[in-house]
Amino acid sequence: MSLSFDPRILAMTLNEHAAEASQLELAPPSNKVRWLFLGVCGALLALLLVSGVLSVRFLAKMQSQELAVTRALAERAQMLSGLWLSIQTYNDAVQQFVAETQADREEPSHQQLDQLTLEIDSDLKRYPVERDSSEAELLDGLQEVFSQQRTLYVSTLARNSGERGRSVESFNAEHVAAVQKKILDWSGKLRAWNGERLGNVDRTLMTEFAGVQGGLTRALTIGLGSGLLLVLAGTAYIVRLERQTHSRYTQLAQSQHALQQLSARLVDAQETERRAISRELHDEIGQALGALLVDLGRLSTASNDRPEVKAQLENMKSVTERAFQAVRNVALLLRPSMLDDLGLVAALEWQGREVSRRSEMEVEVQSENVSDALPDEYKICVYRLVHEALSNAVRHSGAKNARVMVRQSSKNITVRIGDDGHGFNAQRTRGLGLLGMEERVKRLGGTFTVESKPGHGATLTAEIPFSSSNGRTSGATTS
Amino acid sequence: MRETRVLLADDHTLIRAGLRMVVDAQPDLTVVGEADDGRATVAMAEALKPDVIVMDIGMPSLNGIEACRQIREILPETQIVMLSMHSDEGYVLRALKAGAKAYLLKDSAEADLARAIRSAAAGKSFFSPAVGKVLLEDYMRKLQRTGAEDSYDLLSPREREILQLVAEGNSSKDIANLLNLSVYTVETHRARVMQKLNLRGIPELILYAVRKGVIS
Repeated sequence: MSLSFDPRILAMTLNEHAAEASQLELAPPSNKVRWLFLGVCGALLALLLVSGVLSVRFLAKMQSQELAVTRALAERAQMLSGLWLSIQTYNDAVQQFVAETQADREEPSHQQLDQLTLEIDSDLKRYPVERDSSEAELLDGLQEVFSQQRTLYVSTLARNSGERGRSVESFNAEHVAAVQKKILDWSGKLRAWNGERLGNVDRTLMTEFAGVQGGLTRALTIGLGSGLLLVLAGTAYIVRLERQTHSRYTQLAQSQHALQQLSARLVDAQETERRAISRELHDEIGQALGALLVDLGRLSTASNDRPEVKAQLENMKSVTERAFQAVRNVALLLRPSMLDDLGLVAALEWQGREVSRRSEMEVEVQSENVSDALPDEYKICVYRLVHEALSNAVRHSGAKNARVMVRQSSKNITVRIGDDGHGFNAQRTRGLGLLGMEERVKRLGGTFTVESKPGHGATLTAEIPFSSSNGRTSGATTS
Repeated sequence: MRETRVLLADDHTLIRAGLRMVVDAQPDLTVVGEADDGRATVAMAEALKPDVIVMDIGMPSLNGIEACRQIREILPETQIVMLSMHSDEGYVLRALKAGAKAYLLKDSAEADLARAIRSAAAGKSFFSPAVGKVLLEDYMRKLQRTGAEDSYDLLSPREREILQLVAEGNSSKDIANLLNLSVYTVETHRARVMQKLNLRGIPELILYAVRKGVIS
């Protein structure tokens, strides 16, 4: 007759719960979502990178263009003012020459005029060569006016000083002022044209800049928008996952709780049934056999004069005695009457002696301060714990000695069962026996620890909260 | 000679009937009442004041051990024969501590009941032979496994004699008379026996004697 947990029942309930657990398991998150996320993030980053690089390059280009234009403008302006100055000097020289009346001064003035003409030519040549048609036209115009002036001057200069002296007033009024005005006009035109060109270049740059700005703004808007979408989608997804996890956790906790209750009920049911069967065996069959024994004994005594009847009666008596013993042993195994008759300590001591008698292991039982009036579920829990531990030790450990210690303090009951057997790996080996013990201890809100190493025996310790003052602790559950 | 008045206490009618037949068959014994649980036994004992109560150790409402203790307190003259299914020392010792004089196993009750009742009535101890056997086996096994020495060998012949007489229920005065010694000498021997055997109290001494087969 097996008194350990029926493994089939436990396995069955475990399977049921496993099935339940697999039902509540949701579909695992697909890889598609992950790739989508990665793709969108990558695209976003690429967009930002490309627009950033483009704008940096554009800015650099714009800066260099603007620099070139400004430089060209400055060059032209400088050249123009140089030219203007040279022409101005030339004019002054011509006027001075015309006004000169002394013949001996003519020669050096001629030379000075030639020198100035050459300077003006070189000034004109220095004007930047890259020029468009309108600029060239303006420059040609200027050059032509100057050459007209020179021709005029040359013809004037050819006359002698007397003539020149007479016509100097009219000459100045007629020719020099007009030519000077023309030159002023042409150079003014050229200056205005240059300014206009700068404006044009600036406008072009502004247009380009506006284009790039628009592109950048679009890229940023797209990036920001899709980033926002991504964040929203990600948040929604995370919230969904969290909700799933939470509900899964709740379901798991519930089913675990249910499992615990189930196994607690299993233990209770088992205990109740054992007690019922034990009582039935003890009270009915046991007492009937006991009564039979008394009667057989009386008959045997009464039949002293008939040896053959007496022999038969003695035989019947010994058969009945054996049956009586068997019934008694089974009843004790199911529910030790010592627990009810003598209390926990006596029952544990009996258990220890019983194991010592039947096995090669000597059991020592020590108790400290243990009350005889413990509630039944505590007595049963400790008793079964010790029973199972000692049976395990006898069956598996090869121990020669075992020690059982039970101690009651104001807060809890401590049970420790140690043996000097060959031990086992406590991390890996967890048979149904140990599980059953743990289950019983947990039911009363206690903790159960197994310490064992191969070759170093084993020690099982249970700490069960129990306060004798209020009868039972709040942690204990009864059902 | 006055008949010994016996009260039977057992929650099983069949057993009680069997016991009654055994007792009734003895001319010097008479059954004065039957009780079927612990409380009823205490109440009836108080009312009937029997010489001997034959009592089952496991009874509902109040078990035999507790009933025995209460009765011994109220009626010190009433002796108790404990009936039990168990030969374990836990039961025997607790029955002795509760004040029982005799301890009978149920499967041999019929054969030894009359003797047990008579012994108890005379203030002497009595135990089923099987009890002594189990106790001795336990004791010997333990000695063998733990390698301890048998403390009985430490006792002198005189001390063994005194051990037996005390265990049988004799007072120091009885023993002094019997052995022609002074009460003081008997007390000294007795104390030395207790010390050598490392025993605490008479119940343990009786248990020891039963175990060693000094009495039965």
